[in-house]
Amino acid sequence: MADSSLLSLAVADGSPAHYGLVELLAMAGERLGEEITPRTVRLYATEGLIDRPGKDGRRAVYGQRHLLQLLLIRSLARRGLSLTAIAPLAACSDEELLEQLLQLEEPPAHQVSRESMDPSSEEQQEALAYLHSLQSERSPSLLPLLGSTLGSSSGSPPPRRSLFPRSAGRSSAASSRWYRFSLAPGVELHLSELASIPPAGKRREAWLQRLVTRLREQLSSND
Amino acid sequence: MISPEIKFMPLVAAVASEGPQLVELLITIKTPSHSKDLPSKRPSLNLALVIDCSGSMAGSKLSYARKAARYLAGELTERDRLAIVTFDDEVKVLVPSQPVRDPLLFISAINTIDAGGCTALFDGWLAGATQVANQLDPGGINRVLLLSDGQANEGLTDSNAIAAKVRGLTQRRISTSAFGLGLGFDEDLMGAVATAGDGTFAQIESPKQLADLYAYELRGLASTLGRMVILEIKTNPGAQLQDVLNDLPQSSESNFQLPNLRYGQELGIGIGLFMPGWLPNKEIASVSLSWENPDSGDRKELTKKLVLPVKPHEEVDVLDVDCEVAEKLAFLHANRERRLAIEALDRGNLSAAMVRLEAIDERLAALPQNERVQRERSLITEKMSLLRHDPGLSRKRLRSESLRSSLNVWEEVDEDS
Repeated sequence: MADSSLLSLAVADGSPAHYGLVELLAMAGERLGEEITPRTVRLYATEGLIDRPGKDGRRAVYGQRHLLQLLLIRSLARRGLSLTAIAPLAACSDEELLEQLLQLEEPPAHQVSRESMDPSSEEQQEALAYLHSLQSERSPSLLPLLGSTLGSSSGSPPPRRSLFPRSAGRSSAASSRWYRFSLAPGVELHLSELASIPPAGKRREAWLQRLVTRLREQLSSND
Repeated sequence: MISPEIKFMPLVAAVASEGPQLVELLITIKTPSHSKDLPSKRPSLNLALVIDCSGSMAGSKLSYARKAARYLAGELTERDRLAIVTFDDEVKVLVPSQPVRDPLLFISAINTIDAGGCTALFDGWLAGATQVANQLDPGGINRVLLLSDGQANEGLTDSNAIAAKVRGLTQRRISTSAFGLGLGFDEDLMGAVATAGDGTFAQIESPKQLADLYAYELRGLASTLGRMVILEIKTNPGAQLQDVLNDLPQSSESNFQLPNLRYGQELGIGIGLFMPGWLPNKEIASVSLSWENPDSGDRKELTKKLVLPVKPHEEVDVLDVDCEVAEKLAFLHANRERRLAIEALDRGNLSAAMVRLEAIDERLAALPQNERVQRERSLITEKMSLLRHDPGLSRKRLRSESLRSSLNVWEEVDEDS
């Protein structure tokens, strides 16, 4: 994937033409410094955040506008904006899309990372630790606050407007997303969006069992 | 140095040299008005607006909530931070905390808010609080603005438990205001949240009033001189603090929580002291006011000794009461009677509630009639007639009015518009 992205970069600049999905992903990935998966693009298209691609025979083709939309969506999403909030911004004219992107580039996007790296004051640490303890206290109803991919694949109500985790539950602002679940006071489970969770039933049980075994091994090796 | 001023205003100007006696007194705390050079000094604001968008908010309520939120975003500057959180049965950080450089970014996000689901009020608060905490500004004002029209019916719902958690955050420099909208919200919960949150309480019947409320809140935040305000009343041996009419939340026997101090404001605390015969020039009590400076986080303190003229009781008995003090004490009594009327209502005893309200009116009728007294009486008459055909609304308004003794409460009459 990464290799093909690099190869197709050659097509990127100056060509007003149409790109295939791979090229689009490569160009966006290069500018954003993160890997974008085809699944992400399809999701954005289904949600109406980016325009539907054109057709060249059976092949989907993308243009400059799709690229701008994708860049804007990812830039805003990385700042923590939800897709619903981004949707109207991504529906603007090409000029406005470009303008928004330029604006976003001006003040460097350090706001999100500031949360994790700021040598924050003692007071801030204390307030955050306190809120964290409140969240941990109430694990059963924490799910709605946090990630949704797990919920949607485990048969709970579909995440109506929650394609992204709330930032309260996000443990890292890096490009791959993590969902955080509090299992008991002081115990958290972090799940990457890339983790594939077997469907409910025997396979899921076996998977959970393997996790428990793994955890047990970890704990006894630390003893 | 801008500092509040403590004054003692006894109901009658002297205490008796023979006891025992009950001395009624008003302690006033007056803050200087906003001087001209202050606007530039307004502390930066770090706010999270937490909006209930459960099913009951659908329609005009939500449309006004969006409008008011847009107004709020438009009033803030790049020195301020704003986060927008919505909650129904799920919580969504619509816009994470960031400087308000471009209100349009917020406005676009606000325009996407729609209604549906239950009311996970505590989770919503928690997410908003986390946004503020992530960006905690030790030199500014950090506050969660919680707007709800419903009862908490998802997640943590117990009002005492919620209030206790909100109080914990207040002690960590993040305050919370609670705004109840419409007729369905839980006034006891929202009142408890605002009290524990050291913030503002508002009961909004028409969503049209929201923008006014936000304007009031912003003015209040901009003119905050002290937060986490504590009044300590220490009596000297012999004198006993019998009563504090405001029914203020207490952190210890002699420590009472007051609302935030704002420029140009006067707070009145009514107390009753039980005393034996007193000696001239002998100190009766020592009253200390302490508060946290929102800019520096330093705690400041101001102490004043209570000493009153002493006269033989025959002379004290014929002294005139101070009309201004009598009026203020009557208003505090009226707020307390409201609380008692609510308790009666909760027991299902409508007639006992009515008797409480009648008692207020009798007390007010005995005062020299002026505009303020007339207004207070008309509020009571209104509650009495509402009790008959809409006890729920009457209760909401009674709760809101009663909280005026102990909290910054938004009242429509405060607004010029």
